[in-house]
Amino acid sequence: MTTRAEFLDRVRREMRKTRGLFPAVSAPRSARPQEAADAVRRQLVERWPQALEQFKAEFERIAGVFHRVSRLDEVPAVLARIAAERGVREAVGWDVAGLGWDLRAALEPHGITVRPAPPGDDEADRARHREEAARAPLGVTGVDWALAETGTLILTSGPGRPRSTSLLPDTHVAVFGPSALLETLEQVGMMLEARHADPVLAGSGGAINFITGPSRTADIELTLTRGVHGPKEVHVVFVDGLRGVV
Amino acid sequence: MSDPILATPFPRRAGAALKDDFLQQALTIATTKFIDLRKEAFATLPEGDALRDRARAIKEATLQRLDYYLEQLADNVQRLGGHVHWAATAGEAREIVLRLCRERSVKMAVKSKSMATEEIHLNEALEHAGVTPIETDLGEYIIQLAHERPSHIIAPAIHKTKGQVADLFSRELKGQFAADPEVLTAVARRELRQKFLQADMGITGANFAVADTGTLVLVTNEGNGRMVTSLPRIHVAVMGMEKVIPSMTDLMVFLAILARSATGQKLSSYTTLVRGPRRPGELEGPEELHLILMDNGRVRQIAGTLREALYCLRCGACLNVCPVYRQIGGHAYGYTYPGPIGILLTAMLEGDRSVKDLAHASSLCGACKDVCPVRIDIPRMLIELREHLDRGRIAPWHERALFGAARRLMESPTLFHASARVGRWLQRPFVSGGRVRRLPGFGGWTTTRDLPPVAPRTFTERWKDLAR
Repeated sequence: MTTRAEFLDRVRREMRKTRGLFPAVSAPRSARPQEAADAVRRQLVERWPQALEQFKAEFERIAGVFHRVSRLDEVPAVLARIAAERGVREAVGWDVAGLGWDLRAALEPHGITVRPAPPGDDEADRARHREEAARAPLGVTGVDWALAETGTLILTSGPGRPRSTSLLPDTHVAVFGPSALLETLEQVGMMLEARHADPVLAGSGGAINFITGPSRTADIELTLTRGVHGPKEVHVVFVDGLRGVV
Repeated sequence: MSDPILATPFPRRAGAALKDDFLQQALTIATTKFIDLRKEAFATLPEGDALRDRARAIKEATLQRLDYYLEQLADNVQRLGGHVHWAATAGEAREIVLRLCRERSVKMAVKSKSMATEEIHLNEALEHAGVTPIETDLGEYIIQLAHERPSHIIAPAIHKTKGQVADLFSRELKGQFAADPEVLTAVARRELRQKFLQADMGITGANFAVADTGTLVLVTNEGNGRMVTSLPRIHVAVMGMEKVIPSMTDLMVFLAILARSATGQKLSSYTTLVRGPRRPGELEGPEELHLILMDNGRVRQIAGTLREALYCLRCGACLNVCPVYRQIGGHAYGYTYPGPIGILLTAMLEGDRSVKDLAHASSLCGACKDVCPVRIDIPRMLIELREHLDRGRIAPWHERALFGAARRLMESPTLFHASARVGRWLQRPFVSGGRVRRLPGFGGWTTTRDLPPVAPRTFTERWKDLAR
């Protein structure tokens, strides 16, 4: 088997034979990613309403369903309606730390059984939650960022924030407020650079998922079909009064 | 080469594709649709051209410091608890996967769509070793059930009708399924959902790997990439070493143009950034992550004539616009990668000799270069490849003799003018209606094309008259 040293030697030997096709540099990055990210956040304190409008338009264009409420205490009724319309009474969701609010307390008065993600990484919990998530028709998450340019939800995994909540249930509902909005992919890049520069966050988040509408395929005669493996529907509940969780 | 497809010479494979009415119709519909979707997507992106220039520069800049970025990537993946393997050949890459399967008693592996694993024929090797590989991209799943090969980089089953898929599913999955894409997709969902939950290993490729953070990036529409990297206990990613990019900032540039070029979407439904195995405190994700960095003919092209082909993002845009691909489809090419870029990648992986016919399967019209998100100069490299084939005496002898003679004629004005006079006389029996319609020994050319005859008076002759 080839070793790392042998492989890299071969690469270097070839590199020495050429200076390349043309002088080139990779994309310029901020030397202070945290400050750059903070600057973007400050700008968006003013601009988020425009970003939201664009997000809604793009999200609906890719078959997302958009809901908007002013306060967090109106969210349970929206979730209950989504569940009732689909005739379902079970949900999985991120835990209190992940969402910033208590999904179980919010939905149980509406007769919906909630199985929140267990907080740790216990082996028995893992097996049980996988079963629950695979069976649940509804998955409720927050988001880290919502990208207006493309109608994309960006979710990092972590304790109490399993990857499967936005993947296995037929319907995924993401709840977020103004502070999650970003305008461009470039800004997402800045946020990811800042996250990576943060000593605590850099080691967390085994999966960061960009979700742009429901799961789709066009592999049979180019006919667009939704829900091939992941959710068939993606909903957003935007809460004007929900302040920063991330 | 014992490959049954390659046993038939390329002109015969192409000829058969041209006579396949269904294939012709499917190709026209699919490629035209992809072209339109791409065009619309870039129409709403005024900075599209600038982004493509930047993406091209990033690829070149990365190659110029490739050793550095590969080391950085490997270090970061390891720091996160992942394992890095180095494979010089397809055989080594296969052996690494098989060893992992053996050591960990893996019986079933679910796969998300990956050209790198197609390239090394991993599925056959797994089956041979008693491991069941399950393709989970719907198109790849269809192809696997049918024991065929992908015919397009991003739409592997475009050559099949919904009727054919319904028959296939009904036979292989024991049921009666209607020829309706909705129904068939639901069948695949049900079937594959169980496999995702049961499999011990998830196998993927990687669209990108970010050196600075040790992140593997997977772009899918179906969500199968997420399934195979979230549910099985082992994740193995097989990646061509040229897929490394420096930073997250660079990644955003590629994401902005990749899906637009491939399917006309602003972003694909899912872009998954995988950082190592399951992080501390996380409930889900694999216990183990293995990254296989693969050479397989790539490294020698760093200073080779095909260097630019190392920029390729595998978006498939050049296939859709290629007048040759649009006529013959992916299977006729005979190798893993079809289309204009496929010819170059085949030369890279299998050597120049393997493309002695394919190198000519291009009109050099340049449409591929125009749509390429990183502006790869495919026509230039095809011409260079043809030149190598000629110099290396790989091209057929009659072709070399003919072009050798043509060269001598064109080098000498005396011979050139003499040949015009002789040609005018020799062509007489074959000219009808002002065209050369048949020419003994050149039937391959004249059955489908006419040649313009040598003019009664050549340009130089007429010029002399005028100058007088």
